[in-house]
Amino acid sequence: MNRKRLHFNFIGRSKIWFIISAVVILTGVIGYFIQGGFNFGIDFLGGTLIEIEFMQDTETEEIRNVLFDIGYGNSIIRQSLTPGQTDSNRYIIQIKGEGKGKEISPGEKTKILDALDEDIGINPQLLQDRTVSPGFGSILIRNALIAIAISLAGILIYVWIRFEFRFGATAIVTLAHDVLVTLGVYAILGREINTSTIAALLTIIGYSLNDTIVVFDRIRENTPQARKMGYAGVVNDSVNMTLTRSINTSITTLFPIVLLLILGTASLKDFALALTIGIISGTYSSIFFASPLLVAWNNRFSKYKK
Amino acid sequence: MRNKKINIIVLAIFILIIGVSIYYIITEPINRGLDLKGGTQIILKPVESEGSEVTGKKLDEAMRIIRDRIDYLGISEPLVTRDTLNNNIVIQLPGVSKSERALEVIGKTAQLEFRILTGTLISRSGQNTEFVEFDPETGSIIYDENAEEVILVDNIYSAMPIKIGVLYTDPATGEIYLMDKDFDPNEKTDIGEDSGKQIWEEYILGKFEYNEYTHEMNLMSVDDNEMLGELLIDSRTNTASLVGPVLLIGNKLSKAGAGYDSNGRIIVSLSFKDEGAGIFEEITRNNIGEQLAIVLDEEIKSAPSINNTITGGDAVIEGINSLDEASYIAEILNIGALPFTLIQEDVNIIGPSLGEDSLNKGIFAGIIGLILIVIFMIIYYRGLGLISTLGLMIYVLVFWGIMAGIGAALTLPGIAGIILTIGMAVDANVIIFARIREEGRKGKSPRIAIGDGFKHASRTIVDANVTTLITAAALFYFGTGPIKGFAVTLALGVGISMAVSLLFTRSILFMFSGLPVVASPGFIGVRKKEEQ
Repeated sequence: MNRKRLHFNFIGRSKIWFIISAVVILTGVIGYFIQGGFNFGIDFLGGTLIEIEFMQDTETEEIRNVLFDIGYGNSIIRQSLTPGQTDSNRYIIQIKGEGKGKEISPGEKTKILDALDEDIGINPQLLQDRTVSPGFGSILIRNALIAIAISLAGILIYVWIRFEFRFGATAIVTLAHDVLVTLGVYAILGREINTSTIAALLTIIGYSLNDTIVVFDRIRENTPQARKMGYAGVVNDSVNMTLTRSINTSITTLFPIVLLLILGTASLKDFALALTIGIISGTYSSIFFASPLLVAWNNRFSKYKK
Repeated sequence: MRNKKINIIVLAIFILIIGVSIYYIITEPINRGLDLKGGTQIILKPVESEGSEVTGKKLDEAMRIIRDRIDYLGISEPLVTRDTLNNNIVIQLPGVSKSERALEVIGKTAQLEFRILTGTLISRSGQNTEFVEFDPETGSIIYDENAEEVILVDNIYSAMPIKIGVLYTDPATGEIYLMDKDFDPNEKTDIGEDSGKQIWEEYILGKFEYNEYTHEMNLMSVDDNEMLGELLIDSRTNTASLVGPVLLIGNKLSKAGAGYDSNGRIIVSLSFKDEGAGIFEEITRNNIGEQLAIVLDEEIKSAPSINNTITGGDAVIEGINSLDEASYIAEILNIGALPFTLIQEDVNIIGPSLGEDSLNKGIFAGIIGLILIVIFMIIYYRGLGLISTLGLMIYVLVFWGIMAGIGAALTLPGIAGIILTIGMAVDANVIIFARIREEGRKGKSPRIAIGDGFKHASRTIVDANVTTLITAAALFYFGTGPIKGFAVTLALGVGISMAVSLLFTRSILFMFSGLPVVASPGFIGVRKKEEQ
């Protein structure tokens, strides 16, 4: 072995890493309560969303006033900016209907558009116009949860077969860690959670696992040496051996994703944000969380020499 | 020698695949998803009602009818698919100009019914009478609050409409009843609670019950809960009218046509098939003197009086405003009725400019990202970095070729998926190269190091990627629209990157491992010093 190579004692400081993870996740939980929950998108909540271009410069306040006058003052109004823009005449308006449903009728929509056109002036060609019935969101959420559950179960079974049960269980806890970190950032930033975010979360699961498995694979390979150097030593060596790879892969994966975060349009940015957080968390967790957890498991239910 | 042969075959296959990919890239443009090219996506959910359970066969039937109707509207290249998971129908239409009209026509059930018109509701105060309206969306019966009474009369077109019932709202429960014509709601207040209740209950003809899902207001018998009739809008006067049970429906129709009658009025002529003609004849024979309500999608279109038995099975719908509307009604009747009511779950109309922007920005970010990766790989892994660059180029070509070849739709999340898989494609190389280097540092010659490195790395790569494939499969199965597109790109990316790194990179490294340049430790990024 090359003595000049860097060698870190990851396992020896397990407590520190666990505390860092706990603090990050806890911050997310606190953020969740301060913000009053997640900011779910229209596809989950139901409702009507229109994106329009005004013919002249306008302000969010001006639009709100127009909507307030005709009884839709509680609409959410956002300016739609493309990268590099500091101002634009494009606005996204999320209208909440009155009565039992959250969506508005075509008649109400016409009324709103007419009022905006009369007072400010709009481009009649809408950029986007979406109406989702409130019940639809619950089906989407249900499907998303099923998708996550099924992929987790599939992963657990696969890792169990290829490795050992403890690896599978540790991997699942690690994935939960990454999903919680990402959701926490979303809660703190008040970023919208929509179907794309769910897809991004599932991708994070896939990516983080990829990272974790590479480390586990090396642990599996080195386990016969546990007799000599103890399980913690084996795990620590394995993490060190795969360290270069873990960092390099994260760098190459982050290059295009971060570029997308900087250059992409609003919807691409949403996606890229989740992936960026997930990749960083996934890299961290494969080094600092999954492996110490595996050692902790072994300390508890000793199978190999401590 | 044998290994060499295999390597040549693998490389030859890759050259063939690259050739085919380039062919597809040139000949087939990439299919853009709705979110990128703009258009209208409508997700419709069938509503189950009594006697019309949603089955796969009925969904297929509904999809055929929707396709025919879209065709009739002259919208080209519609995509009507079934979301098998939720039994929803997903419709994608290019462009947005006809979306409003499409929404109107597609969702129409076009259910034609023949029922007997029992009567019409009017409100009366003194000599004044006013029509009563009905809103099927909310199930409310709307009338002048100051009216003395709301009554049901047999025929508002006759000179002397006859009172056949009284509408009464129970103030205690808010339930609406149809009472006998002799019932006086003002007298009722004089009767004591307990005994009074029994007395007024004797006058009940039926109770109105509203179904929130089907938007039907049915008159039910209070004794045995049997359906006596239904409250509908009479489109001629926009009044709430009561009709009896359905006697005949449009599926027995053989042909509908638009035209004028002998008086020059716009009509839709209907002719019935053999069985339908027989039923129609029987209906007219049994109900002479009654009005026959012709109901289209829960609206009474016309209600001619039956003067004599009609044989031959011909009927007309009157009261139509324009010939265009008449031909539209005739057309959707000919295409057929939907086997169930469809409700709009998600209607998404996307202007074309929004997606264009995303696509360009996505491609730009991807290209810059690719260049950065290549620079990083060459600096870090030297000669091996060059080979991984080659592998990456092949990856992009094959990916693009397969997307074009199978006609998979590129969606917004799909772009993000591609960009992510570019990063992951490099990962396989990083794992292999890191391992080769490691073996090299143990003092092995590059040739041996490459062999051993691959052996160890392959297992890791397969394990790591299979788990991503599991996630992609779950996404594909449970996702809709753009998410499905993302799952496809993710799975494709992982599959191709595995093939490229484990087969192509391997073969090319082994092929050239005899060359002096490859044999030098510098090629695998190991310094001479470290060898010792």
